Amino acid sequence: MSTALSVHAATESEGPVAAVIASLPVSFAPHPATPASAAPDVTAVAGHAGWTRRAAEAILAGSRAVVVTAPAAEDPQALAVVAEENGAAVVLDQRWAGSPALAPSHDAARAVVTEALEDAVLLDSVAICAPGEDPLTLMADHLAAVLQSGVDLDGLKVVQRSSSGYTLAGKLPNGAPAALQGIATASVPAAATISILTSTGRTDITLPDPSAAWPAEVRSVTASGSTTLPTIYESAHRRSWRRVRRLLSTGRPSTDLQHFAALFSLLTRLNS
Amino acid sequence: MSSQPQTALPPLGVGILGAGPVTQAIHLPSLARLRGTLEVRHVMDVDPQVAESVAARVGARFSTTVEDLLADPAVDIVAVCSPHQFHAAQVIAACRAGKKAVLCEKPFAMNGEEAAAISAVSAETGVPIVVGAMHTFDPAWLAAEAAWGDLPGQVHTVRSSIVLPPNPRFEDFATEIVGRVPLPSRDSTGPEAIGAMLTGGVMGLAIHDLPLVRRFAPDFASVEVLHADTVRPFGYLISLRAGSVTIELRAAMNSTWEPAWTFEAIGNDASLCLDFTPSYVHAGSATARIRRAGTTTVLGPFGHNGYEGEWREIAAIARGTGSAPSADTLLHDLEFALAIAGGEAPAPAREESLA
Repeated sequence: MSTALSVHAATESEGPVAAVIASLPVSFAPHPATPASAAPDVTAVAGHAGWTRRAAEAILAGSRAVVVTAPAAEDPQALAVVAEENGAAVVLDQRWAGSPALAPSHDAARAVVTEALEDAVLLDSVAICAPGEDPLTLMADHLAAVLQSGVDLDGLKVVQRSSSGYTLAGKLPNGAPAALQGIATASVPAAATISILTSTGRTDITLPDPSAAWPAEVRSVTASGSTTLPTIYESAHRRSWRRVRRLLSTGRPSTDLQHFAALFSLLTRLNS
Repeated sequence: MSSQPQTALPPLGVGILGAGPVTQAIHLPSLARLRGTLEVRHVMDVDPQVAESVAARVGARFSTTVEDLLADPAVDIVAVCSPHQFHAAQVIAACRAGKKAVLCEKPFAMNGEEAAAISAVSAETGVPIVVGAMHTFDPAWLAAEAAWGDLPGQVHTVRSSIVLPPNPRFEDFATEIVGRVPLPSRDSTGPEAIGAMLTGGVMGLAIHDLPLVRRFAPDFASVEVLHADTVRPFGYLISLRAGSVTIELRAAMNSTWEPAWTFEAIGNDASLCLDFTPSYVHAGSATARIRRAGTTTVLGPFGHNGYEGEWREIAAIARGTGSAPSADTLLHDLEFALAIAGGEAPAPAREESLA
C-alpha cells in the first residue's frame, strides 16, 4: 500500500485543493501544519501573477512537486531551472488543457481528432470566460487547450481584441482556415469548444469549467453517423493531481513547463 | 402554433416568377399549408417544361414571361424567386403592375442603385415589398425578440455559423424536383475565385442571417472587414467589427448529413442562441435560448418555419391587417450585406506559429 503524499495549499486555494485531494484519499493527505514538520511533499500554488516565484520558493523549501492552478501568462524559465536542479515536478492545472478528454493517453479522442485533421476544411474554436477576467489568461488557456487537443496552427495572428474578447486566425497544416475566438460573458459557464469541420462531417470537443466535474464531450460525425465518446466525470483539477501523483511515483519528469514556455513565447509575440 | 390560420376571406392569388428548386421545395410546400389564405394561380419560368410541370402541381396557369404573369388579374401577390440579377427589375415591374404586395427572395437588389430604384417605386406605387429574409419571420426569433429585454443594448459579440450539405440533399426531402441544373464546379484558387466565393457566400448564404446580425449592431454602417478566408468546397470565415460589436461569420457547405445553423448574440450578462432548422425540409421553427447566469429560457420549437412565417405576414399585409417593413429596414439590410461582400480584409499582421 502506497503512502499518501502530504499536501500544503496556500490559504487562497485551500478550499478548492482540499476538495480535490479529498477525492484522492489514498494518494494525498493534508500536510500537518506543525513547526516541527518537514516540508510538504506537494505544494499547491495559485496561478495568479507571481506564481513562478511562489512555486520556486516551495521547491526550494523542500517540496518534491508543485501543482499550479490556473497559471497566468508568465515566463516559466527561471522556475524550470529551479525545478530541474532540485528534481521537482511542476504540474500546471489548466482549466481546459488539463481535461481528461485531452489526455495523451485518451486514445479514442486522439484518434477522432487525428482523423478529422487529415480531412479538415475549417477549425472554429470558442472559449468563454467571465467578464473582467484577464483576456490574456483566457487566450493562454484557450491556446493551451487547442494545442493539447493535437491541433497545430500556422500563421497565427490577432484579428481583433477588446475587453469583451479576441479573435485569432491562422491555418491548419493542410491549409484549411482556423479561428479561435474568446468571449467574455456571465450568461453561460466558462467553457471551450473546438470544432473541426471536415469534408463529410465534423469533430467537436466541448471542455467544461473544472469547478465541477462536468464531463467534457468528444463527438464525431462521419458519413456513417455520429459517435459520442464515453464521458469522463472527472475535472481537470482532479486529473492534474492524479498526474502529479503518477509523476512522483514513477520518477518521470514533467514536460508542463516546457510546453508552457512555448505558449508564453507565442503569447508574447502575439501581444507585442 | 397551428399551421392553418382561420379565415373566412377568399384566398389571395399568388404568382411566382422563377420555378426552380426554391419555389418547388420551399414555397409550394409552405403555401400548401396555407390553403384557404393563399392560392398559387400562376407560375412563370423561362423553361416552359419546368413552368408547366410546376404549375400543374398546384392547378395554376403557367407562362414563360414576366409580362404574362403580371398581366394576370388573378395574381394579387407576386413572389420573385428568379436568379439574383433579375430581382430588382422584376420587383419594380410587379409594383408598377399594381399588385397588392411583392415578396422578393434575398437579396432584393445587387447594388445601391437598384435598391434606391425599388424604394422609389414602392413609395410611388404604394405596393408593399417584403424581402424573404426567412429567419426574421421564424416564430422562435419573434418569440425571442419579445422576450430578450435589455439584451440588444449589451451585446458585444455576434456569431453566425452555418454548416449545410449541398442543397439537393434537402430539396429531395421536400419535393420531387424538376429541371434541376447541376451545380457548377467551383474554382477555389486564385484571388478572383476566392473573391467570388466570398461575395457569393455573403450574398447567397450569410445574407440569411445578416438582418439578425444587424439587429444587434447599431453601428452597422461602420462595418469593417477585419479578416476573410474561404472554406472548401464552399464557405467562408469572416471577422467583422461594427462599432463596438464583434461579428464572426462561419459557413461550410460540405457533404455532411448533419446540418447546424446557429446564431448567437452575446452580452456581458445575457446571451441569445438560436438553432435554426435547415431550409427546404419544413422541420418547424428554430429553438431559441435566452441565457442569463443560472437560467435558460427556451422558446420553441414551433410548428412552422420562417418561410411559412413570411407568407403569413405577406398575406396579412396584402389584406391590410399587417404592416410592411419600412423601406429603411430593407435598404439598410442590403447596404450591410453589400458592405461586407465588397469589403477587403487588411493584410495579415503579427503572424505566429503554434505547433
